Amino acid sequence: MRLAVSAALAAALAAGWAVAAVLLWHSSVPALHLAHLDPGDYFSAQDLHDAASYSRGARWLWVLTTIAQLGALAVFARFGVRWARESAAGRMGTGMLLGMLGFALVWAVQLPFTVLAVWWARHSGLSTESYLTVTLGNWLALGGKFTFLCLALAIVMGLAGKVGDWWWLPAAPCFVGLALLFSFVTPYLLGGQRLDSPQLRAATVRLERIEHVQHVPVKVVTGMNEPNAVATGLGPSRRVFLWDAIIEPPFTQREVEVVIAHELGHLAHNHIWRSVGWYALFAFPGAFLIAAGTRRRGGMRVPEAVPFSLLVLVALNLVASPLQNVITRHMEAEADWSALRATHDTKAARMLFERFVPATLSQPDPPTWDYVLLENHPTIMQRLAMVQAYAASDAQSP
Amino acid sequence: MNEHPVQLVVEDDLERSRLTVFFRLLLAIPHFVWAFLWGIAVFFAAIANWVATLATGKPPESLHRFMCKFIRYLSHLNAYLWLVANPYPGFVGEEGDYPVDIKLPPPTEQDRLKTLVRIIFAIPALFLSAALGGAGSFRIPYRGRYGTYSGGGGGALAGVCAFLGWFAILARGRMPKGLRDAGAYSVGYTAQMLAYVLLVTDRYPNADPTAMLATVERPPQHEVYLVGDAHDLRHSRVLVFFRLPLLIPHLIWFALWSVAAVVVGILNWFATLFTGTPARPFHRFLSAYVRYTLHVYAFGYLVANPFPGFVGEEGRYPIDVVLPERRRQSRWVTGFRLILAIPAFAVNAALGGALSIAAILTWFVALATGAAPWGLRNLSAYALRYAAQLNAYLFLLTEQYPHASPLEGADEPQQTFDEAT
Repeated sequence: MRLAVSAALAAALAAGWAVAAVLLWHSSVPALHLAHLDPGDYFSAQDLHDAASYSRGARWLWVLTTIAQLGALAVFARFGVRWARESAAGRMGTGMLLGMLGFALVWAVQLPFTVLAVWWARHSGLSTESYLTVTLGNWLALGGKFTFLCLALAIVMGLAGKVGDWWWLPAAPCFVGLALLFSFVTPYLLGGQRLDSPQLRAATVRLERIEHVQHVPVKVVTGMNEPNAVATGLGPSRRVFLWDAIIEPPFTQREVEVVIAHELGHLAHNHIWRSVGWYALFAFPGAFLIAAGTRRRGGMRVPEAVPFSLLVLVALNLVASPLQNVITRHMEAEADWSALRATHDTKAARMLFERFVPATLSQPDPPTWDYVLLENHPTIMQRLAMVQAYAASDAQSP
Repeated sequence: MNEHPVQLVVEDDLERSRLTVFFRLLLAIPHFVWAFLWGIAVFFAAIANWVATLATGKPPESLHRFMCKFIRYLSHLNAYLWLVANPYPGFVGEEGDYPVDIKLPPPTEQDRLKTLVRIIFAIPALFLSAALGGAGSFRIPYRGRYGTYSGGGGGALAGVCAFLGWFAILARGRMPKGLRDAGAYSVGYTAQMLAYVLLVTDRYPNADPTAMLATVERPPQHEVYLVGDAHDLRHSRVLVFFRLPLLIPHLIWFALWSVAAVVVGILNWFATLFTGTPARPFHRFLSAYVRYTLHVYAFGYLVANPFPGFVGEEGRYPIDVVLPERRRQSRWVTGFRLILAIPAFAVNAALGGALSIAAILTWFVALATGAAPWGLRNLSAYALRYAAQLNAYLFLLTEQYPHASPLEGADEPQQTFDEAT
């Protein structure tokens, strides 16, 4: 009887999860049959070779870094509890220390690969950052990571102390709240400078009107090597940030307008809210699995469970990454479509995507496993195919 | 541990002539000229001494004597300038004719390899000496992406103590013992550093204030003092390496708590002003804050090893502070507490410079050896003790003014918090 109730409850929860997922999945992109394009028709053999060569190295580095991370966490899960003697901070403080040390060790074992990645990017002409800057910057960035980790562990261990193994139920909403808060404050943390170009400012106003997004400041983040842009923030904190590399040649004004339209498209389709929604859908089962995984080690009430919980957390993230990539690719495709509808400038869009290959050395058509595990945007060839599909539909429309 | 071969001898009675103190800098002008000229000679003599020691393994007697006289002379002059002693010093660095004197060892065999790299080994001691006995700060200009910046430091504890002592002496005709002891400690450390650099000894300068001021009478026990096992120098290398990122959650919590503490401190100030006694809940809250501050500082500055708790719990941390019970306080002293604390702020800032340098040096040593150096640990504990006394004074936990002496109070502090309370 009890089993049946549990099964029914689980089924109801799964159904609720599925309904929420379907609602969040909804997209304004029509059902498109994207053509399979041949990269050779768009890029020179040299560009394709350079991109393939760089991407191959970057993928191997990712594999090695991930193995090192999991290995370090597995060792830490087994022996990490010994570090508890270095704490005079009580139950929760000791848990925080163990959590921080776990990530510190991960940083240490990943350091050689980080240095290799810098070398690889410099060797390929993608970066001019010094090894010292990256290493020291990573070391100091650990402080930010530690702060969030401490906050998370304070929530989890505090709740576990109150409600035992059911901590995951109240903890998941807390994390969702934190994700909302983080989404809200991120634009203020990024800062950025005012967009200088009057033409781009005028284009932004025009695109905002077309995409029904009002009063979104566009800022420029300086000192970035990579051509990129992001839309972030909620409500009054919404902003579009352009990395300075994307507003400089070889990118043209029309191409930058496509980029701005793409980012405004994210805001127009509430992608930040929907990302938080997806996060909420993953947070509940994720927290439950961590609670279940650490139960045999005394549960998250005791600091001894923290090292193992880190391993579970990272493993779950890795397992969930293909699904997360499917979701982000889906949203990126919607933003691309939105940009095409707002600008009707298929030529600029095509040029923009074509420029990404030599500028970022992204492989236009990566291997399947790379696509599944690592690509959180549609591939360049998929994006070009969408441009082609839009051009065809635009030509047919009256 | 063996006694350091360079010993500070203090036979000063704290009495000062107001007239000579008032004109002290002007009176010292002939000494500045003489010290400069002597310094040039010492520069060339030091090179000769270095070459000779490398060749023979032992400094030549004559050069050794010359260096000893210079070190002794400079110590007398420093003591005079920093108001650590009263009489006008002689110009030849005679032994035993000045109330603050330096005992220096005879020439001994020295390791050639250590002699070869002496100046490199001396760099940490030079930094610490600048923070303790330097007259100002050092600046390092560097060119960044958006312009030229400069950074640097150097607290100059002796300079701050002399500045404050100058006013105190003009008012009372006596140098406060705490300031004198701090100045004497700086003079002693600078002498040990010079002796090391000039090959008078191959013993590294010892920053331990207790050893340096062994001949000086200890001050009375302050109401606010540190407890804990001073001999526990062990450090986990992992915690040392990641100390800064590990500290960041504490710094955020500390900042939040500090805001609350300032608000509660103001409320406590009004309460004490009206009733004459700090309010009980405020006293408890602020005691926990002062204790937490000490724990975080001790962890951050590598004075203690374990990761501290977030609530400032009594007796939980290897270095803890004993705070007095709540009691009546003078309304006058309470009313002007912030203004009265200004000199203590200055001493605390100077000690902060030394503390930072000690922490950086300890970081390297602890990473290599897994333990903090005894001398640096004690110097840091002195700075932390003073900071705790200042905090307790500011937040009305005690009426007793912070004592600047590097020496512990006359009554030996207990080993554990339970015994102490």
